[in-house]
Amino acid sequence: MSDAAALLRVRGFALKRSGDAKAEVEDLSFAIQARETLILLGDAGAGASAVMRFLAQVPDPGATLGGTIQIRDQPEQPLGKSRLDLRTAYLPGPHANILNPHESVVSQLALVIARKTHQPKASAAAELDLALQRLPGGPSLDALDQPPTRVAPEALAAGLLAAAMSQTPDLLLADDPLGQLSPAHARAFASALKAEQQRLGFAILYAALRADVARLLGGNLIVLRSGRLIEEGPVSRLATAQSHSYTQALFRASLPGDGLASVRAATRGEPLLRVQGVHLKLPGKVKDREKITFELRRGASLGLIGEIGSGRRSLTRALLGMEPLAAGRIVFDQVDIGVLSPAMMARLRRRVSFITGDDDALDPRMTIFDTVSEPLRAHLAMPRDSIAHNRDAALKRVGLAALPGSRTVASLAPFDRRRLQIARAIVSQPLLAVIDEPLHGLDAFAQSVVRDLLRNFRSNEGAAILFITSDFGLARAFCEDGLVFKDSRIVERGTMASLLRAPQDPHTRKLLEAVAALPVQSGTDIKPVAEDPVSSTQPPGG
Amino acid sequence: MSGSLSYFGAGRHVSNLEVVSRAAGVGGLGLLAVIVALNNVIARAPAGATYIAKRLLPPGSDAVMGSDALGRDIMSETVHALAVSFSSAAVSTAIAIFIGALAGFAAVRLPLRMGAAVRVISGILRMIPTLFLAVVLVALSSREFFAISVGLAICPEVFNAGFDRASSLARSRHAMYARASGIPGLTLLRRDLVYELRMNIVNVTGRALASSATILATISFFGFGAIPPHRDLGLLIAEAQTSYLSNWWCALFPALALVVLVLCARLAATDDSGQPS
Repeated sequence: MSDAAALLRVRGFALKRSGDAKAEVEDLSFAIQARETLILLGDAGAGASAVMRFLAQVPDPGATLGGTIQIRDQPEQPLGKSRLDLRTAYLPGPHANILNPHESVVSQLALVIARKTHQPKASAAAELDLALQRLPGGPSLDALDQPPTRVAPEALAAGLLAAAMSQTPDLLLADDPLGQLSPAHARAFASALKAEQQRLGFAILYAALRADVARLLGGNLIVLRSGRLIEEGPVSRLATAQSHSYTQALFRASLPGDGLASVRAATRGEPLLRVQGVHLKLPGKVKDREKITFELRRGASLGLIGEIGSGRRSLTRALLGMEPLAAGRIVFDQVDIGVLSPAMMARLRRRVSFITGDDDALDPRMTIFDTVSEPLRAHLAMPRDSIAHNRDAALKRVGLAALPGSRTVASLAPFDRRRLQIARAIVSQPLLAVIDEPLHGLDAFAQSVVRDLLRNFRSNEGAAILFITSDFGLARAFCEDGLVFKDSRIVERGTMASLLRAPQDPHTRKLLEAVAALPVQSGTDIKPVAEDPVSSTQPPGG
Repeated sequence: MSGSLSYFGAGRHVSNLEVVSRAAGVGGLGLLAVIVALNNVIARAPAGATYIAKRLLPPGSDAVMGSDALGRDIMSETVHALAVSFSSAAVSTAIAIFIGALAGFAAVRLPLRMGAAVRVISGILRMIPTLFLAVVLVALSSREFFAISVGLAICPEVFNAGFDRASSLARSRHAMYARASGIPGLTLLRRDLVYELRMNIVNVTGRALASSATILATISFFGFGAIPPHRDLGLLIAEAQTSYLSNWWCALFPALALVVLVLCARLAATDDSGQPS
């Protein structure tokens, strides 16, 4: 990334929001030359969107900026002091929900072009038409002359690209339009974008969540994490030889999977849940109760194994702040839940999903569609079509897509209710999934299907899992580590392999014997995840 | 059986007899609604029109349901009065359901002390007979707003029903799981209101309509309700009270209309054996 003849050079970019303890972006420097592509890669909140917002000159009254900017040969200026003398065009993804859902796409895009290029709306529409014709396989103007909700995402993406091209920008600010397309459409879109870049000579600043986007576009790459630059260099080099583990994880996860999966994979191994010296408030048996201490890492799975009444569920309720603690500390997602207000605790619990063997876990009055959509509606301000898309995809994954969405939960068989719980957990994209005796009350066929769905859930969603069971066979299949409970205390802990191979406590042996056909010496069905070498049951240091 | 369950009782088995009763009730209310909507067409004379030459005619060919001391056609007067009673009862019912049910379901989600205070106030109001409360509210406001006063008087009844149902729903396992996965209280409130009203709207409306119609007629009978010339069924019956035996038709037909209205509303709300399954 040479600084010579740069179109744009930013030095020491810093952005801090009033009231925030930490800056959103710190000391970020980069330069873009004409016809160059620069990709800012990182998870949500890494800082790329803050840079994009600044360059798109979106007013941000609560932000304090630091650093300098130089455009072409003009003198270097402090950031935020004057308007940028640079023609920029903003290219969002088709699901960015920036268009009015009730107005024609063509009308809205033509208005944007007209305002940016100071021409009448009619000629702006003609420009848009020409730009669409230049795009290989692009939609016609007529196809876009309807509200955005009725336009296919691919066609909408092409329309947005054509609108951006019609503005003949010096710098295209692309807010991850590829990340919202299917792989085939993303490839086609990237080719079209690169062809237009060659023709018009603009530079591209691309905010990406996924490393496969970088592979498609090429150019230079800056990897950001929590507002700091982690690594930079040409995509051709970083795609094959990353020096930072975060970059490695992003590229490793960039093969099939979504943006969230890559982020999840990148943060695997970091602690999600720390339980330190916890005493549950339970009646009786205070004297012989020991403090409970363990740690669950992101993406890892931990079995809470024991019989009914052994304290597993009380512990789980305490972990979610729903039961008071007699003593100890619980840290969930880096937040000590003991200091949270009920409202804050409720917000934190949004990242938790349940899949239980309890048939009353879902509201029997609700329809299938409402049950799956509710977490999306309640937790995310998603457009209606995105909610429907996610809901349908989740129902398809669990094999319930064929059922009428208006059927109520009460009318479903236990097997279907169980699958509906999994669909609800899938759309919730949880950090932590509590799976509680998920096969309870199911016949053999249903058990086999639910097992497969849970395996699929575990491998695709990347959530950490607390698996409550009395069945060592199930724990072996789904957990890397296990805690054996008896009378509200942990009698044994370790990896599942060690618990199965050499159980120390008589209670563990008793539970193992209960699983008659279990080959004790064999390993687990699911191989331990390579990136998570640290045992999730190790008591945290300090 | 508590009154609350008969307002909101989800998921219980409904017998064939109940289905028939409910269909008859809803059908009857539909028919009454048509009569009310077309009252000016169905009635042979305008409301309050007097014909001195036709005073106190018994039911016959000249006047199907007879005429009163001022020569008013009882059938026409009954149809007009039914329109007034039905409209007033509809207003009262809407107010009772909207305020009572919303407050009842919301009170469960209020912070502990505030919820308890609302519950105590509602409990005290519930101990006061609804008729007396309606009269007091009419006295405190104006007879012009008697339908609103009656609606407010029924609110504690609907509130308690809603509160009891919402309390049992809040303790349910599915609500516990929803809270444990961070579903906000407002979403749960919306969920409860939407589903409970959708499932029980006929029952709740029927019961509130029956109560409203009865209380409205009663307070009009005592002279606190409808203001002439807009006479409702209660006022018609009251005006005929000096000649119940001699001119029986003057009170009988309005009373029958009131009975039919209340009966249809109660049949539509067939849920009196309601036990949650």
